[in-house]
Amino acid sequence: MADGGARTQHWATQKERGSFVLMKLTALAVRRLGRRPVTPVLYLIVLYFFVFGRQARRNVRQYQDYLSRWSNRPELRPRLRSVFGQFMAFADSLLDRLDVWSGKLRLEQVQLHDPAGLRERLLLSQHGGRGQILVGTHLGNLDVCRALAELGEQVPLNVLVHTHHVAHFHRLQGEAGDRSLRLLQVSEMDAALMLDLSQRLDRGEWLAIAGDRVPLHDGRRVMVDFLGHPAAFPQGPWLLAGLLRCPVNLLCCLKIDGRYQIRLEPFIEAPAWERGQREATIARWAQRYAERLAQLCLLAPLQWFNFYPYWQAPTSPSPAHPTSGESDAHPRRAAR
Amino acid sequence: MEPAALEQPALEQEIAQLIIDTLNLEDLAATDIPVDQPLFGEGLGLDSVDALELALALQKRYGIRIESNAKHASQHFATIASLAAYVEVQRTACAS
Repeated sequence: MADGGARTQHWATQKERGSFVLMKLTALAVRRLGRRPVTPVLYLIVLYFFVFGRQARRNVRQYQDYLSRWSNRPELRPRLRSVFGQFMAFADSLLDRLDVWSGKLRLEQVQLHDPAGLRERLLLSQHGGRGQILVGTHLGNLDVCRALAELGEQVPLNVLVHTHHVAHFHRLQGEAGDRSLRLLQVSEMDAALMLDLSQRLDRGEWLAIAGDRVPLHDGRRVMVDFLGHPAAFPQGPWLLAGLLRCPVNLLCCLKIDGRYQIRLEPFIEAPAWERGQREATIARWAQRYAERLAQLCLLAPLQWFNFYPYWQAPTSPSPAHPTSGESDAHPRRAAR
Repeated sequence: MEPAALEQPALEQEIAQLIIDTLNLEDLAATDIPVDQPLFGEGLGLDSVDALELALALQKRYGIRIESNAKHASQHFATIASLAAYVEVQRTACAS
C-alpha cells in the first residue's frame, strides 16, 4: 500500500489531461507559426514540467533504475541528464505527432522492421482475409504506426481507447488533419461490443489496443514482473484475443538515430485457453508481453512515455480499482 | 421455469450443445445440463467472461443482438430454458 503522500494517481486522470492542454496549444501554434518557432517554446514548456513535476521525475528515475538493473547495463542508470532526456524525447514525439497528423511525415521516411511479413497480411485482409489484433505500447510513438495503417495502406484500423480523456485527445487529432482513424471508446466489454468487434474483424478490419496501460474503470488486470518488479498490466488485449479467437501482433514505433522505425511482430498465432485455465493463460501471455516490452525498452530507453507511477504496490491481485471513485473524480491538480 | 421455453426442446438442446462447444466442456453431453440448472455460480459454474463468450456465440449463431443491460442479461442467461426463451424472442424481433 502506498503511503498517503505518494498516493498513486491514475494515468487516465493525471497524465493525459495535462498533455491534452499542452497539445492543444502546440497544435494551434504549429498551425499558425510552423514547427520551427514553436519548438523552443515547447522545450521550455517541457523544461517547466521537468522542473516542477517532481512525481513524474521520480517515476522516470524509477523506470530508468529498474531498466538499468534488469538489463545489467550500468550506463542506463538514471542521471539528471538522462531523466531530462526522457522528458525531451516526449516533447520531440509531440512535435512529430503533429507532423504525422498533418501528413508531413511521409511513409517513405519510416523504416519498417517486419521480419515475419505482417504487412502482407495487413494488405491481404483488404481482399477477404480476416483482420487481426495489434497490441501497441506507450514506448515510442504510436501515431506513426497509425499513419502507416491509415494513410499509407488504407487498412481500416479501429483504435480501442479507454477513457474520454483519450477521446478528447483524438478529437484534437481530427483538428490537426487526420480524420480517417476510427476510435472506439471501450469502457466495458459487453456482448454488443464483442459482436461489433467480431464483425469488424470479419470484414477485414484490424483492432489496435494498448497493452501497457491499465484502464481506470475496468478491474481486469494482472500482476506481472516487468523489469524485475511487479506491475499491473491490463488483461483486456488478451481477453479480447481469446474471445474473438484472433491472432495478436505487437506493434511499436521507435525513433532510432532520428528516424522512425516501425516494428511489427507476431505474438500469439491462435489464442485459446483450456477450460479452467483462462486466468493462468492470460497471466502467461501478459508476462510474456512484459518481457518482450522490456527488451524493446532497451532499443530506445528514453522513449518510455509512461510518466505515471508504473510499479504500484500490489494492493491485491484480485480486480480492484486503483483508487476510490471519489479521488478519481478529483485528482490533485499537480504535485508541486 | 418458463413454460414457453419448455415447448422448444430442440432449441434448448442446440443451446446446450453451443455452450459445450463454445466453452470447451467436452466432458459433458447436451443432455447432461438440465434446462433449469443455473448456468452461473454453483450450477454449471460459468463466470462473466464465459457469459461474454457465450453471448458472442449466440449472436453469431442466431443472428441476434444481445444488448448490454446487465440486469436483464443475467436473467436471460440464468438457465438454458431462459436462454432459449430469450433467443426465440430476439430471433423474432431481429427477423422482423
